[in-house]
Amino acid sequence: MINLLNKKIINSLIIIFLAIQIFIYIVNQKPLTQNFSQKSITVENFSTIVLSNSGITKISSEKLNRVDENNIYLEGKSYMENKEYKIYGGNIYININEEVSKSDEDVKVINDMGILNAKGFENQDHEGKIIFKGEVNFVIID
Amino acid sequence: MSLSIKFLYLIFYFLFFSSAYSESYVKAGESLVWDSENKRYTANGNVEFKNDKFIAFADKMIANYIEENNSEVFTVIELFDNVIIEFKDEVFTGNYAIYTRDDNIIKLTGDVSIKSPTRILTGYELIADIDNNKRILNSANDEALVEVLLDNNANN
Repeated sequence: MINLLNKKIINSLIIIFLAIQIFIYIVNQKPLTQNFSQKSITVENFSTIVLSNSGITKISSEKLNRVDENNIYLEGKSYMENKEYKIYGGNIYININEEVSKSDEDVKVINDMGILNAKGFENQDHEGKIIFKGEVNFVIID
Repeated sequence: MSLSIKFLYLIFYFLFFSSAYSESYVKAGESLVWDSENKRYTANGNVEFKNDKFIAFADKMIANYIEENNSEVFTVIELFDNVIIEFKDEVFTGNYAIYTRDDNIIKLTGDVSIKSPTRILTGYELIADIDNNKRILNSANDEALVEVLLDNNANN
């Protein structure tokens, strides 16, 4: 009788534990994706390709910080290249939605005209405009 | 003998080096906007532009370009306010200037002057034809004057 009671108790406990585990598994599944999209991500020695208004743009950086869904911060030495230019800069903010990238750090740009050095830039990719700030020195290669 | 050859080589090297680095450039004190859709550069604040023909200074510059053999080439350059253009031994000044690469002509308007070692000319409009070495200086209207100051030793 006691053995039968023990078996029933053990079986009940196993069923309860299994139920708890299934519950925990289900509960953990849903918030996992939610947390993932909210979390800021940092990647070191990052390199990627982005399709934008000006075509394919290669982006690489010492450190990529994902600020939120629309904003990326390229920390340290960073590089952007497409068919029109190569931008060598640092600490660049990119707004993916507005297709704007900007930096207040020294920047060097190589394009079909020559080599440009400035104290910062704002690249309004959707308008095809790059505003170079501060003293600008643009050496034209004939 | 070998020393003189080395010396000649050095002279030749430095001559070549200096000519190879007579570069064209744009300098701006405040900002430069590259508008790739309209194929235009706009420079602001203490602008300095140099090409193989002249050096120009102004408060603002707008340079239009075309794409030619995988490179960009300036076609029309406009200079605004406090314009100074140095061409060989002449200095042109004015309020506005436009240079067209196709005909190598600089047109200045405003309070225009041409200064050279032997003369100073002032007027309203200057058309400087670089290839044909011609200068046309116009007054603002029939009543206005074109002034010419000549050095005593000037022979032209």
